[in-house]
Amino acid sequence: MVASLRNFSIKKKGKNLLKILAGIVIALIILFILNVFVAPVKNLVYIISSPIQKVFWQAGESSSLFFSSFLKDGFLIKENEDLRTENQKLLSQVAILQSITEGNKAQSDVSASCQNRNFNLVMAGIVGLDDKDILSINKGSDDGITEDMPVINSQNVLFGRVFKVYNNFSQILLVSNKESVTNVKVFRTQVGQEEGILDEVDGVVRGAGGLAAYLDLVPVSSDIKTDEVLVTSSIDKSFPKDLLVGKIIQPEKNDQNPFQQAKISLFLDIGTADNLFVITNYKQVK
Amino acid sequence: MISSPSSGTMWRKFLAIALIFYALALLQNSFLSHFSLLGSIPNLVFIFFFLLVFFNKTGSIYEMIFWAVLAGFFLDVFSYSYIGPNIILFLVVGYLSKETQLMLKNRNDKFPPGYFISLFLIFLVGYKIFISLFLYCSGTATSLEILSTNLLAGLFYNLIFAMAGFGIFRFIYAKKIQG
Repeated sequence: MVASLRNFSIKKKGKNLLKILAGIVIALIILFILNVFVAPVKNLVYIISSPIQKVFWQAGESSSLFFSSFLKDGFLIKENEDLRTENQKLLSQVAILQSITEGNKAQSDVSASCQNRNFNLVMAGIVGLDDKDILSINKGSDDGITEDMPVINSQNVLFGRVFKVYNNFSQILLVSNKESVTNVKVFRTQVGQEEGILDEVDGVVRGAGGLAAYLDLVPVSSDIKTDEVLVTSSIDKSFPKDLLVGKIIQPEKNDQNPFQQAKISLFLDIGTADNLFVITNYKQVK
Repeated sequence: MISSPSSGTMWRKFLAIALIFYALALLQNSFLSHFSLLGSIPNLVFIFFFLLVFFNKTGSIYEMIFWAVLAGFFLDVFSYSYIGPNIILFLVVGYLSKETQLMLKNRNDKFPPGYFISLFLIFLVGYKIFISLFLYCSGTATSLEILSTNLLAGLFYNLIFAMAGFGIFRFIYAKKIQG
């Protein structure tokens, strides 16, 4: 009796194991099929979700502004926002003026073209952001967007590059993403600098996640200071020159290391950027 | 005594749960992006899935599989990675959490918050570790990010939402039992 019960139990367990194995195999086949059609599947879900996502995004934007007004004075926030926008515009103009002063016509041409938006730009609305600093925009390959195109806002602030493109939407790898490395130069804006000499310090901005980043690979011999502005350099040609990236908050120099780092504040602000611009005609060199 | 639901009620329940998962995935990808805490956004889909499994005393394993596939699919489809890793992890989390819960079950058959908090944190950390491992192994991420500085902030932020959900679920469950 006990033996037959044990046999029954073993048979039942064996059947269950078979069922589980069959289930796993079926699940893996379904996952494989889904991944073969991953782009159409994601695009379809996006098309369905986009209008709701846009509403949620805007609701989040206005709610965060509303709640932050409890923490800070609402008037100060508005004023701060206006000043920040104006500051970014001025910094762009400074970049052009300094280029002209240096006599570097090519550089000023790029800055000016950027400033005057001679780039072919595709305007896109933000619809989502995940915790890995990947931003979703509502334009895709149907609008002429391809991978690696630079993404900026109306003040020439660099947001990142197009990471993945689907028919109707794209995902942007922000400069704050941990996988992002952007070549930059430190733009000197000190008063009284000798005319014609522009001391530029090269470095890279590495994403730290959580919409933050830090400056790295600055030669230890270079003197970088708080509030100095970081703009894209042309070393790797991933981005056009002189796009605004951020400013130095606190240099961290250690003589034992060949390079110095610095805490920086990025200019990108997803809270106030409703629309972004994808530069579609920038020729990248790889 | 919980009455057994008819098939019509069951389908309505499944549909409602699917819609909730979808809405939560949208919410955490758009609305909650503006409320990040040190770069962390609460994973509402994970929280809701965990609550469903935790409070599912009578449901079969098939129900759990259905929830895991739905929750994982919605997280994967809004991510920049492949479709699948979240589904597989949710299946594992669902199965293991149910097994652990059965082992820890107390005599009164209630849902003590202590059990919930500890199980939730353990499985959330496990989930985050395995997702990071997957992203690293699949080449989507070049660095293995397991113990990052904002991990604690993320756990704390998720726990706040999970505890709120726990309160709601326990209230509903108590009402169900009374009914």
